[in-house]
Amino acid sequence: MSELHLTVNGGEHALDAPVGTTLAHVLREELGLTGTKVACNEGHCGACTVQIDGVPQLSCITLAHTVEGEVTTIEGLREHPLVEAFVRADAVQCGYCTPGQVVSAAALVAANPAPTREEIRHAMAGNICRCGTYPKIEEAILSWQG
Amino acid sequence: MELLRPSSVEELDGGIPFHGGTEVVPLLREGLLDAERLLDIRGLVPRGIEAGVIGAGTTLAELEVDPATPDALREACRLAASPQLRNMGSLGGNLLQATRCWYWRLGYRCRLHGGDRCHAREGEHREHGIFANGFCASAHPSDVAAALVALGARLRTSRREIAVEDLYRLPDEADRSTTTLESGELLLEVELPAVQASTYLKAMDRKRWSFPQVGVAAARHADGSARIALAGVAPIPWRIESIEELDGATPLPRTEWKLPLARALVRRALAALDQ
Amino acid sequence: MARLIRTEKEVEGRYEEVWIVVEEDPLEQWPEGPLTAVGRSAPRKDGHERVRGEARYTADIALPGMLHAAVLRSPHAHAKVGRIDLAPALALAGVRAALGPGEAHGLVEEAGFAGAPVAAVGADTLAQARTAVEAIEIEWEELEVVLDPDDAVRRELLTAEPRSYARGDVERALAGADVVVESTYRTQTVLHNSLETHQAICEWQGDTLHVYISTQYIWGIRQAVAETLGLPEDKVRVVCEYMGGGFGSKNSPDEYTYVAAELAKRTGRPVRCALTRREENTSAGNRNATIQRLRAGARSDGTIVAFDGEFTNSVGWSGWNSSTEGPMRMLYDCENVRTVTYGAQLNTPPMKAFRAPGFVEGTFGLECLIDELASRLDVDPLELRRRNYAGSNDGTPFSSKNLEECYRRAAPHWERRHEVHARSDAVWKRGVGMASQIWYGGGGPPSYAWVRLGSDGRATVITAMQDIGTGTRTAMAQIAAEELGLPLEHVEVVLGDSARGPYASISAGSSTTPSMGPAVRAAAADAREQVEDIAEQRGMPKDTPLEEIVAVLEESQILGKGARGPNPTGMSVLTFGVHVVEVAVDVETGEVRVERVAAIHDVGRIINPLGASSQVEGGIIQGIGHTLSEERLLDPETGGVLTTSLDAYRMPTIADVPEIVCDFVDRPDEHLTNLGSKGLGEPPIVPVAAAIANAIRDATGADVHELPISREEMLRALHEAEERARARKKETRGAPAAV
Repeated sequence: MSELHLTVNGGEHALDAPVGTTLAHVLREELGLTGTKVACNEGHCGACTVQIDGVPQLSCITLAHTVEGEVTTIEGLREHPLVEAFVRADAVQCGYCTPGQVVSAAALVAANPAPTREEIRHAMAGNICRCGTYPKIEEAILSWQG
Repeated sequence: MELLRPSSVEELDGGIPFHGGTEVVPLLREGLLDAERLLDIRGLVPRGIEAGVIGAGTTLAELEVDPATPDALREACRLAASPQLRNMGSLGGNLLQATRCWYWRLGYRCRLHGGDRCHAREGEHREHGIFANGFCASAHPSDVAAALVALGARLRTSRREIAVEDLYRLPDEADRSTTTLESGELLLEVELPAVQASTYLKAMDRKRWSFPQVGVAAARHADGSARIALAGVAPIPWRIESIEELDGATPLPRTEWKLPLARALVRRALAALDQ
Repeated sequence: MARLIRTEKEVEGRYEEVWIVVEEDPLEQWPEGPLTAVGRSAPRKDGHERVRGEARYTADIALPGMLHAAVLRSPHAHAKVGRIDLAPALALAGVRAALGPGEAHGLVEEAGFAGAPVAAVGADTLAQARTAVEAIEIEWEELEVVLDPDDAVRRELLTAEPRSYARGDVERALAGADVVVESTYRTQTVLHNSLETHQAICEWQGDTLHVYISTQYIWGIRQAVAETLGLPEDKVRVVCEYMGGGFGSKNSPDEYTYVAAELAKRTGRPVRCALTRREENTSAGNRNATIQRLRAGARSDGTIVAFDGEFTNSVGWSGWNSSTEGPMRMLYDCENVRTVTYGAQLNTPPMKAFRAPGFVEGTFGLECLIDELASRLDVDPLELRRRNYAGSNDGTPFSSKNLEECYRRAAPHWERRHEVHARSDAVWKRGVGMASQIWYGGGGPPSYAWVRLGSDGRATVITAMQDIGTGTRTAMAQIAAEELGLPLEHVEVVLGDSARGPYASISAGSSTTPSMGPAVRAAAADAREQVEDIAEQRGMPKDTPLEEIVAVLEESQILGKGARGPNPTGMSVLTFGVHVVEVAVDVETGEVRVERVAAIHDVGRIINPLGASSQVEGGIIQGIGHTLSEERLLDPETGGVLTTSLDAYRMPTIADVPEIVCDFVDRPDEHLTNLGSKGLGEPPIVPVAAAIANAIRDATGADVHELPISREEMLRALHEAEERARARKKETRGAPAAV
């Protein structure tokens, strides 16, 4: 067991977890933040995307003990205008990939508030959606400022 | 399992070093790497690009947006992996990544795993190589490596200074590794000579987030010569001196299709250099 | 008055006769066109929960004391368990129970494919369970492995009797035809790869089993689990409020549910059994590969006189023999049709229904064949389809068919091909292709709903259905709101728990809207009528708003109930559509870009245009995946799956999406229920591959006969087209001068 300190959505957490535990596991199982989903558990699909110091990363292949910086999950983005934009645009079907999509999108618009379609596609290509909601996700990001 | 943060390169023996972890963590989970000790080397490896020198800890995402990054390298970074993986993965780690060959990744006891056969040669090999594939038919997956070879980059490690292509070796009966990296040796910096022009073209089967079917990097050097290197065609990044060298390829029955593709991309890459 | 009748029920092309209880349904359909709630775009009722990550999927549920299960799966494609010893597993830390073959339904002694489940362990943590599975000692007796479908058919290794169909005299018609085309088309094995893997949590409370499961069919799970475990159905409760995708793969309990139930029984603790992504790629089912040996004959005036098809479905170890021949039988007016369909039993993972099973594969073969025919006849492909329009389904009238209207609306998109061709250059060739779609989608009984109205004037639709991501929850709310005359915001829908509502249909086979929708409307109408009775008693005018009438209720409630009535007898209830696709092909590298898809669909009345367009986009994108980049590959020697992870099994990303234009005919089917709505989940995926292949042919002259259209296949086809063109040039040069 090894002690671990994480800042998640602005809150400090201290816990014990074996070295090798992933950030996704800590978030979901230890902190009860189940908004972040694990779909492939090996860094291929983007469902587990969280921000670390605002940068989108894959929590399922991030070792919790190596995290330096503040973690932002979908729970920390509940009030982000992108949430309304996604709902308005119907950018959600089964919803399993959606938290990861929002986290990646939030990082994109923070750096680039008016991205072009090309820029959106480039920045969001790591978030797989099996339902094929992509066109509406693109619309949601284009219209996020309402 | 222990996690240590060595403060000097001397402390590296007896553990697996990792930086972004995008390769090491999945390999550990799949049992393809065995480790009692993980070494977080983020404090030891330089990061950033300055005056033609790139720290091996620089992420692909950082290289993608830095104006000092030469075109071939920028394009290789831009088209590699996914945005999240580019945020996490280091240049050094990308150079050292293992093949995507499914037999290797699933732990079949193939030559790279110390066994005595290449399952791909006799089995399903449609994503494999067209050069140097007699012993092992794997394809090198790194776009960045091909770009650096074409750019004539030099690599400084914690022990030596070499041309980037000398980081790689073809596996053979005596030694199955595809890199010349010694145990405890770290990649530290990449030094890039100034080039007149460079480009990277990548064929994939979906628009993004795909390993190279064939990747062609080309650079026009100061002396006017063109250096060409290919990803996805051999167990290591594959340099060719001219497009005619493609005639010497030894495709397998289901990798023949890579040849016309490689020809087209090499032709286009060379044409792009002259624009 | 309740009546018991026998009627026909269809799901995914399979028909069965069922007894149902029907109430008379005197409701007239609403007039065509957008109404107040129905036919208006509405964002999802549970959109915020899903987007914010607040929705709890089965994967998110953690019950106190819950154990985790891991499954031992056969590494061999065909083998019998010889000796098995669970003791070493049971001795490990955290392990609470272990099961061998036969100790839970689905744990088999004879593994018919690599990945077949054989044993399982329940432990405090998933890591402990996995370690314990590795510790199980097991010896295998390896058996013969059959992987080749033609070989299996020759040896009569089939999952069922071959299915034959014939009308007219095909051989005679072919002999008399002016043009005959003969082609073989092949499609690959495609994996569902829903993002939430297959999983269930089982918990016993007394002698009642609670099953939390990622499923498309709450009531089917309940029935199957009860039957398998020998329980009264009311002693099984099934819960699925949110689930992360199914696409047909989650219609049955499967071994993970029974493993969890048995481990839970033995340990007295809740148990989760979840597939990993690797297991999802190897063992969770797939759309089977097909080989289609096809012939078509036509007269020079474009009348198709004969269709002949031999279809070989690589079903795998188990599964059913889907109707790959369906489109050939049903789509066109042709007097002479013969098909035979074989279900090859192979030592590969079993097929599972995947979004229009059989018809996706069969439409690829048929619609490409039609274009080949058009080319030989020198008839425009749209014109050829129109000329052979089927006015009935082999004599049975359609409840509604507006495919002609779809063709009419397709014409302007088809017209664009001149402009598209003009944009070709030396490297990028551009072309346009089309394909027609036919599929089911009528749904059927039984399905039930209740509507509860209180004094606050808000309504709750109470169902025990599931919303698998298609937006059916919202559609039901719209239907109830329309019938009650309430604002959509004042209507809630309860779903997802078999203990909290009446029987609901499966969400597969495009059947939720056409099955549940009419039941919801009937329940709302029942409630509305009771409210009108109250208004009359109180002497209130007929147009008094419902909220005013019910304000007097205090604690009393109005409860309405409704049931789905029977389908029209003696009619085929089918959906239709057309896709027109524009592609660009790089003729040097074989890269294929899908640039634009115009999708025109006839599925009866559209309840929610916004949600409906999402279904169309989703189906098209999944179609692009199986057309260009997705393929499950096997090691030919061991039969093991090689594409076990999502870097190897490549599905489309947002970067692969074309421009999509979506058009609904939106005419209610006047014979179908009180709604006139059909299902839309599957139709949009059906014509995609053929339309893309036909567009490629239009752009380059290259004939692709195989899915996926990989670089390898595209370069092969381009090379072959080049050779043909060269041979033709040689011929014309060598030909004698024209007389």
